Amino acid sequence: MINAWKVLREIARGAAITSRHFFVNMTFHTLRLFGVKTKRRGAVTIQYPEVRKELSPRHRSLHRLRPREDGRPSCVACMLCVTVCPSECITVEAAEDPDPEVQKAPTRFIVDLSRCCFCGFCVEACPVDAIRMDTGEIRLAATERSALERPLDKP
Amino acid sequence: MSGTKTVALTIDGRAVTAPEGANILRAAEQAGIDIPHFCYHPAFAAEGNCRMCLVEIEGLPKLELACSTPVREGLVVRTATPRVEQARRDVLEFLLADHPLDCPVCDKAGECQLQDHYDRYGRFPGRFVEAKQKKDKLVRIGRGLVLDRERCILCARCVRFLRNVTGTGELGVFERGARAEIGIFEDVPVDNAYAGNLVDICPVGAITAEDFRFQTRAWFLARKPSVCPLCSRGCAIVVESVTGYPLPEAKRRVYRVTAGQNPAVNGYWICDLGRAGRHDIDEGRPAGLLRKGVAVDGEPWQKALAEVTAAIKAVPGSDRPARIAVVLNARLTCEELARAKALFVTGLGLDRISFADRTPGTADGLLVTAERVPNSRGAFAAGFDPRLPTIEELTGATVLLVFGSGLAAHFSEEALGRALAAVPSKFLFAAHAGPLDRLFDLAFPLAVPAEKSGTYINVGGVRQSFERALSPPAGAVPEGEILTCLAHGLGLNLGDFDVC
Amino acid sequence: MFADVLIILVKVVLTLMWTLLLALFLTWVERKESAVMQDRIGANRASVFGLRLFGLFQPFADAIKMLFKEDFAPSFAQRTLHWLAPTFSFFFVAVTMVAVPFGDTVRLFGRRIPLQVVDLNAALLFVLAMLSLGIYGILVSGWASSNRFALIGSLRGAAQLISYEVALGLSLVGLVMVFPSLSLARIVEFQGGLLFGVLPKWGIFLQPLGFVVFYLAGMAETKRVPFDMPEGESEIIGFYTEYGGLKFGLFMFTDFLEVIVLSALATTLFFGGWQVPWLGDGGFAFPWGAGIKVAPWGVTVLRVLSFNLKVLFFCWLQILTRWTYPRFRYDQVMDLGWKVLVPLGAVNILATGLVLAAR
Repeated sequence: MINAWKVLREIARGAAITSRHFFVNMTFHTLRLFGVKTKRRGAVTIQYPEVRKELSPRHRSLHRLRPREDGRPSCVACMLCVTVCPSECITVEAAEDPDPEVQKAPTRFIVDLSRCCFCGFCVEACPVDAIRMDTGEIRLAATERSALERPLDKP
Repeated sequence: MSGTKTVALTIDGRAVTAPEGANILRAAEQAGIDIPHFCYHPAFAAEGNCRMCLVEIEGLPKLELACSTPVREGLVVRTATPRVEQARRDVLEFLLADHPLDCPVCDKAGECQLQDHYDRYGRFPGRFVEAKQKKDKLVRIGRGLVLDRERCILCARCVRFLRNVTGTGELGVFERGARAEIGIFEDVPVDNAYAGNLVDICPVGAITAEDFRFQTRAWFLARKPSVCPLCSRGCAIVVESVTGYPLPEAKRRVYRVTAGQNPAVNGYWICDLGRAGRHDIDEGRPAGLLRKGVAVDGEPWQKALAEVTAAIKAVPGSDRPARIAVVLNARLTCEELARAKALFVTGLGLDRISFADRTPGTADGLLVTAERVPNSRGAFAAGFDPRLPTIEELTGATVLLVFGSGLAAHFSEEALGRALAAVPSKFLFAAHAGPLDRLFDLAFPLAVPAEKSGTYINVGGVRQSFERALSPPAGAVPEGEILTCLAHGLGLNLGDFDVC
Repeated sequence: MFADVLIILVKVVLTLMWTLLLALFLTWVERKESAVMQDRIGANRASVFGLRLFGLFQPFADAIKMLFKEDFAPSFAQRTLHWLAPTFSFFFVAVTMVAVPFGDTVRLFGRRIPLQVVDLNAALLFVLAMLSLGIYGILVSGWASSNRFALIGSLRGAAQLISYEVALGLSLVGLVMVFPSLSLARIVEFQGGLLFGVLPKWGIFLQPLGFVVFYLAGMAETKRVPFDMPEGESEIIGFYTEYGGLKFGLFMFTDFLEVIVLSALATTLFFGGWQVPWLGDGGFAFPWGAGIKVAPWGVTVLRVLSFNLKVLFFCWLQILTRWTYPRFRYDQVMDLGWKVLVPLGAVNILATGLVLAAR
């Protein structure tokens, strides 16, 4: 037999918690509405497009290829990111670089954002620190699939 | 080896027998004990310049080279003592001291012996703080080969290969000491039909092939053995392909063909013709069934094959020998030839069976033979007489079945066009698209030899069975399947498992 | 005669508008209230010419969206019934509002006009009957969808609604024993008196147990979250699986109408309806002897306001409940209905009878 008293107590506690939140938040909302600024706000949410949260420096956002001094990507097309990528979203095609010191450079470097899971393995795998996920660009939605295939080697 | 004398020795506490005159490295290898090495190659005499294969031999004060020390009765060898391990680390450290950190861009990475040995025997932190030597990184030495002198560890395998195997000797070691480098003499490039083997035998990424360079990474490749169909030598090859990953729309299916090992046929080498066999596998393949040279979308070959059986059935039994002509080729495997024999000769009683193949080339005395088909011995063995058809033979037929596009090599297009215009029902079965396609009612896409399994008999009578190394492209089937299905449609049983 | 018809028509239109606008408003309240409870802000983007007004335009945006969506019915559904089901649901709930008194009678142009569409003498039975007819909306929707999941959902819904109707009916028997009438107008009038000379003679004080049973059973009748077996939002597929656009909108709207109807009934039956405590026709007369004179129009306004405020409170309470408690398991729903509420209702009748007999 369920302890009816316990059940009723828990039901009351639940209602107390939610209504406490309601009234407390409502008070602060009302205060703000009448121009009384308190440190506390009625809601913890951020009004996203207008207000941007500062991203942590470790936040993983859209990938970029770090450029060399001459502006070309510093990627050497070693395909380690392609190898390590768990969602198989990176496509790299390599070709001979005119500079024999560089040797190898990508002719295509495409990240398919529709597959990318933003794990950051590619950044960790990169031996020349070419790919980074520090652009802070998080608005990556698109209306077509093709727009999600981002060529990183072209600016 | 039963004829030669064997000696007994102990390696790492294990009793090992080896033929007299063999070196310790080979003896250990046969006993399953791996001794790392760079410069030693079983096809050449030991040179012992890399010093990687040092082992400890009881009774000798210093470490000895496993590659150049012959086995002796009662020898006690140790390959895993701290002294040996330290020696290996030292050798690796010396090699790596001047070796560029090119692994990310190096095509050899993943199949590089220096990488593998460091991973297994080295694993020390680098102590070399001095600037590494700058050397030429992009030297074109001919035949589509690129030499990177920084990566070279001067094992001289390439030099020895060109000296001992091809006898051309285009490469040599120039300068001395730290400045020693591999190079060609003046402006004479490497130019022989076996140059591709240099890439295979180079233990590091010093010699790379432009055809493969930077196309993909070694670890993406699936390596499947097959037999080269491009001449009657039938060398063992390895077909290295990727399927789908890592590039969704990979430019190639087969990235390269490398040498397989078969001591009875080709040893360790294959010719550049065989390496170019990747074009034969990947290029010029028809997208699907062709009707008068025009692609038919979505029609399965089994359905189209019903037209072939209908055409054969329309010819009354007694007229068949005179009115049905079949052109085969020697790229068919022995099994397929046997099936063709059972179907066309025994089953239908045909006698107008001829063979059309690629025109012969010239033999080079090493591996390449003049006959540019893999299985003409098999055709003889199956009881066929591989002779070319005459134009009259083709014209006189009511139903003409042609396997392969070899006819185009022997007759001009106009002549064939005129001849075939008189044939009411004509069908082509070919792996590659060609000018013949539009002359036939139907052209069925076939699998190339790498995409089927079977047996070839080479010029020396060696039978080689091989498994399928690749899946055929959509719609393409091996000849054997076509023959089985034809027999099925005609109500004949070839004793096969029915694939239809 | 003509004037009577006109008056009825005006009252019908006003009642309908009141109900629909309140339901529309409730969709906003639901979003906002849940948001505030959960430390969020809630829908605040819908705007007219940049005027956001705390998202008050959101219901209109939703309505416009629903209206302009494709009127879709699956090819395997029975099209006529598919359309009829939400209409049934909507109609039977909306029609209950005609029996609810919004206020006292007003004198206008020399006529006495009760602020109620019709004063049925068996209004309580009418309300219960209409509420039970609402089951058809659910049953027909499940059947017409020709979808197993929808059908099972609708059967679950029918079973639940029928079960709780028993408890609902029982809970009201005690009330009818106390206020000997089935007319809602009469019941409200009865509640105008005082209990022990202090407390307003509201149903909640006379029938506390009856109210608990009524309220819980009524919540179950609205099919909202703790009792949302029939639809089960995303987890258990429910009867409007095959609905979208306007038809789905009607079902959603019916949900809010049911909230309003339950609130209006709870107010009318247990919280004195339009009665304001200690307010008589002439003004306030407090139990401690003081009194405030209020003009007759003021009394009417206060009473209508009182009714509205009580209804709003119950709407708020129901939304709070919906956003506080998790859903019952199906067997728990049935247990609560048959093993708790029905016996409690019976006990309530017995106790009421004993008290009445003893008096």
